[in-house]
Amino acid sequence: MTEHLPIIIILGPLLGAVLAAFTAWFRPRLSHPLVVVGLAISFAAALKLVFIVADAGAQKYWLGGWGEKVIPGQKEPFVVGIQITVDYLNTLLLVAVSGIALLTSVYTKRLVDTELAGRQRYFYALFSLLVTGLLGITITGDIFNLYVFMEIAALSSYALIAYGRGRAYMAAFNYLIMGTMGACLYLLGVGFIFAKSGTLNIDDVSAIIPELGQSKALFVGFVLILLGAWAKMAFFPFHGWLPNAYAHAPTASAAILAPLATKVATYAMLRVMVTVYSIDYIIGSPGIQSLALYLSTFAIVVASFFSLTQTNLKKLASYFVLSEIGYMVGGAWLANKPGLTGAMVHIVADAAMTSALFMAIGCIVYRLGQAQLDDLKGVFFKMPVTMAAFVVTMAALIGVPPTCGFFSKWYLIQGAAQAGVWHFVAALLLSSLVKAIILFRIIEIGYNRVPHPAIEGNPAIPRNEAPLSMLIPTAAMALGLIALGLGTSTLVNTIIAKALPAALAP
Amino acid sequence: MENLIANFNYVIVVILMMIGLWSMLAQKNLIKKCIGMAIFQTGIILFFISIGAKDNALIPILTEAANHAYPDPDVAKIANPLTQILMLTAIVVGVATLGVGLALAQKIYQQHSSFDEDEILENQRK
Repeated sequence: MTEHLPIIIILGPLLGAVLAAFTAWFRPRLSHPLVVVGLAISFAAALKLVFIVADAGAQKYWLGGWGEKVIPGQKEPFVVGIQITVDYLNTLLLVAVSGIALLTSVYTKRLVDTELAGRQRYFYALFSLLVTGLLGITITGDIFNLYVFMEIAALSSYALIAYGRGRAYMAAFNYLIMGTMGACLYLLGVGFIFAKSGTLNIDDVSAIIPELGQSKALFVGFVLILLGAWAKMAFFPFHGWLPNAYAHAPTASAAILAPLATKVATYAMLRVMVTVYSIDYIIGSPGIQSLALYLSTFAIVVASFFSLTQTNLKKLASYFVLSEIGYMVGGAWLANKPGLTGAMVHIVADAAMTSALFMAIGCIVYRLGQAQLDDLKGVFFKMPVTMAAFVVTMAALIGVPPTCGFFSKWYLIQGAAQAGVWHFVAALLLSSLVKAIILFRIIEIGYNRVPHPAIEGNPAIPRNEAPLSMLIPTAAMALGLIALGLGTSTLVNTIIAKALPAALAP
Repeated sequence: MENLIANFNYVIVVILMMIGLWSMLAQKNLIKKCIGMAIFQTGIILFFISIGAKDNALIPILTEAANHAYPDPDVAKIANPLTQILMLTAIVVGVATLGVGLALAQKIYQQHSSFDEDEILENQRK
């Protein structure tokens, strides 16, 4: 049974999606519990695999038993099937994706029922399909399979965004154009690698690439894959589609898309950089390295400035997502030990932080109906638990210890200082500063623009929290940020340190 | 120049992809963007097919009978079947993407009675 765990991670949400789409015809109420069960199975399998991987190293699984075959007359066995791999690099992200998806699926039920009343029929089928795609990207050990899962995730996210109607259609269309361009560039890069190496299996490709030596085709393939991944993750200068898409999408769609979609694309880039090509390859191409670092700095600075001018909470949060992408890409391209550790920790930490942020915003939207900053007057008295979770999340985004945001940022700054990339250090600090300003602005609006209820003669603001099915996941996620922060060193020592390439200088 | 003629398939692929990319990014009309997307994908499909093609290649089927007829087949003479199979998947993905794109374009047209990006943005600002 345990040897089949890797495939169960994908099968849970995939079967959930198919069954949910079927039951939506005759018994729509059944589709939500089916999806939750599918995600729970996937989460349990992912959690079990973390321990197996920490003990026994990478787990490999051949789909349908089509493993390595020995052809008569040939000495070396060669790969015929599609491999899926759970190793030190992706096991934590698998838990993060399936866990966040499980919590979000419970959390969004009430939100979907009110926000999409009457047309929520296929929402959870799409939701589950999106999670299938994201888990597939994370787990696959085959570069073409990664493209297919990328498009499964992308197609369901276009539909989830278009659920918002009105302006969401145009936002989804722009996302579709940008996303398809990214996926096509990725596919073209895969073509270059395939033409040179003759295989699509990630392990095989990484064994063959060093033998091929300097090759222009491989370099072009690398650049194309990189551009594709950047377009998918909304990295500067391909970021135009993201703020509108997430701000006009229904809050329930944004709550699952914002934390996971961009993070998983970042993982795909990291996988190509670290495993498919080697870290030596990256250090050997200093031109792209410095370009990527400058772009990360720009991404962080531009997103920070734009976030200062926003008046809508959802759009504000989307710009936070953009600046966090700059953190991860920059960390990965530092190509030294603390930088890569920081990027890997930050992928998981940022998925959790963004999820908590959008959950808190969802609670606010559920009660207040919208999320303009000016509507937040007195919200701290009205929704104390939600706002406590919100403040913890913002503290994590700023990087206050002991939340997880502090530790990942610490690694990133250490890495940047070691590599002497001071503009990236400055951008990281600037981004923290901007987030602190925004947090204090929200506190100022939420607390101070209304008379304090304790002052005599002022009517008390009635407490009116979001329903428990939304409040508990929000609070759990916010507490999880602190727990993740306290557990960071354990995770780094037992898992992430082993995912780093051995050739890396300390 | 000789190099270009020998590799004319790649030249066509590049031209197709550039037309598609330009149309996706620079055209204002949503339907033209969708067409550009389809052309871009077609370029990539052609690219994959042409890297798998060989002159006078054998069919890549390994059966008992085929093993008897060609006991020691020259691998360099057998066509690579993988690229065609990959492109079957890519065509399916492309059709699905085009379908979603056209559905969105239709919804936008119902709202704004226009496919022109500038006009739609103008409408949204009101």
